Amino acid sequence: MSGDKPVELPSEAELAEMSRDELVRLGTKMDGVELVHYEEKFPVAGTRAERRAQRSVAAWFLVSALSGIAFLGVFLFWPWEYESPSNETAHFLHNLYNPLIGLFLGLSVFGLGIGALLYTKKFLPDELAVQQRHDGPSTQVDRATLVAELADAGDRSGIARRSLIKRTAGLGAGVLGLGVAAVPLGALVKNPHSDSETKNSLWHTGWKAEKGEKVYLRRHTGNFHEVSLVRPEDVEPGGFETVFPFRESERDDEHALVAALKRADAPVMLIRMRPNQAITKRAGQEDFNYGDLYAYSKICTHLGCPTSLFEQQTGLLLCPCHQSQFDVFEYAKPRFGPATRPLPQLPITVDEDGYLVARSDFIEAVGPAFWERKS
Amino acid sequence: MTTTTKRPRGARTKLRRRVAGLLALGFGLLSAGMLFAAFAPQAQTAQAQQQDALVRQGEQIYLNTCLSCHGSSLEGVEGRGPSLVGVGDAAVYFQTSSGRMPMARQEAQAIRKPAKLSPEQVNALMAYITANGGEGPKKPSESGEALRGDNPARGGELFRLNCASCHNFTGRGGALSSGKFAPALDGVSEEQIYTAMLSGPQNMPKFGERQLTPEEKKDIIAYVKSVTDGKNNSGGNALGGFGPVSEGLIAFIVGIAALIGVTLWIGAKA
Repeated sequence: MSGDKPVELPSEAELAEMSRDELVRLGTKMDGVELVHYEEKFPVAGTRAERRAQRSVAAWFLVSALSGIAFLGVFLFWPWEYESPSNETAHFLHNLYNPLIGLFLGLSVFGLGIGALLYTKKFLPDELAVQQRHDGPSTQVDRATLVAELADAGDRSGIARRSLIKRTAGLGAGVLGLGVAAVPLGALVKNPHSDSETKNSLWHTGWKAEKGEKVYLRRHTGNFHEVSLVRPEDVEPGGFETVFPFRESERDDEHALVAALKRADAPVMLIRMRPNQAITKRAGQEDFNYGDLYAYSKICTHLGCPTSLFEQQTGLLLCPCHQSQFDVFEYAKPRFGPATRPLPQLPITVDEDGYLVARSDFIEAVGPAFWERKS
Repeated sequence: MTTTTKRPRGARTKLRRRVAGLLALGFGLLSAGMLFAAFAPQAQTAQAQQQDALVRQGEQIYLNTCLSCHGSSLEGVEGRGPSLVGVGDAAVYFQTSSGRMPMARQEAQAIRKPAKLSPEQVNALMAYITANGGEGPKKPSESGEALRGDNPARGGELFRLNCASCHNFTGRGGALSSGKFAPALDGVSEEQIYTAMLSGPQNMPKFGERQLTPEEKKDIIAYVKSVTDGKNNSGGNALGGFGPVSEGLIAFIVGIAALIGVTLWIGAKA
């Protein structure tokens, strides 16, 4: 294959006589490889230099083994549980857990690798081999016979004659393919937003009243199951608070209580302006506020980040993602940045028990623009 | 034995009765004295005089350091400083003890610097402002470690909900509009964190006691104290505390550089 000189093959009797060394040479020769230079690293066994080299390789493997044991020990017995910083030693020890685990596991792998590397460097013989390059395509004969073999195998399977099997196999594969295609294509066929009157559509939010049930403003107290409703006097002038929808029917439903705090479209900023602050209201939304209290959606109208950086003196709400700024003294109109629409305002009032409630859902879709949205 | 012990016992009971009587009398006299001391009119006047002295001292400080921007009757000066009517002693404490007031110059926002007023002067100024500007949010009576709650986990939840948008989730601070910024919370005392939440200094919103209860505020302080002042550097360096961006970048640069270095070394040795 490699070339000009075909290798002389030994007879069976000669082959039986050959030593391993000779067999190796014959094998490399048949592959077109020729050893140009070959030198043992330690031609004389047992010299001091050889023993030193051996020790240095073994040392790395030992390092690997020891750090493996250390890793196991730390992993099993180190105090990994969080400790508050007030407990200084325990906190320090806890802080060491991750670095130590990483250090010992890393060192173990590293030692193994370096040991193997050193071994090849120090003990494998120096050799220089030349292999003839194989060029051009396979010979005409090789190519013709391979094609004939493949065609013959296809013919012999008889699939060309058995049309029932062919058709049923095609049917099975085709149906499977259609099923797989239905997943991505389905959304292009059925409009997921055709029913726009549920609170899960893009047009509505978790604030939508259902079956005439009152929707209260609820604060998050750090405990997902606690219901803490907001009263107007809770928020100081110049203060603001993030609120979420709550309905009495959810009071004993732990799942719904958690879900209400995590719904992406639900967060609303309840802002109390300082007295005597001049406010420009949006046309048609003059009665959405309750006294000094204004409620705006926290979802940026640009790409939906939480716009909760509130500057109470300048009245600006900043969005941390792309630096949009909304002016709460002027119906949360965008002042700067890529956002183009004001933050939607939630109409609020107070019920007979003095709790803040939403008068209705937002009158427009919250958050970033989408295809069906016209404004 | 019984006969010999009987007589002394009788004597002892008499003695005991006398001692008890004396004690009762002494106790009664003492408590009457203490009651008198507590309700005596002189004590009140003395306290009031002391308070007056404090207010007068505060007035001197106000005239020397605050008047030019906040006006002669706390009404504020247009374009220089806001009115101090009703700000309460929490605001005075926060602004002066953190060195923000008196301001060095008018700029985007007052910055933290070594306090110019001593704690006594701050006290006097607090008395003066509440005496003339009316009551407002009050500095808590506890101080130091007593202001740290025992549930930093809930504090962390509340911090991320109310504070982290500006101050970063481990209190590293962050940028606001037009040169303003939310400061990092390193080295800020418990009293200052508490009074800042209460009074809403500069552009920070106010968090009243009905919105975040004192217990919730203390939990937030406990959380802040557990992640600031270099206490959140598990890896040795917080890398700015921005989370995955800086950490990933450093891991990438250092890791890739190390890999390239090792590769080059192996190549050179081979």
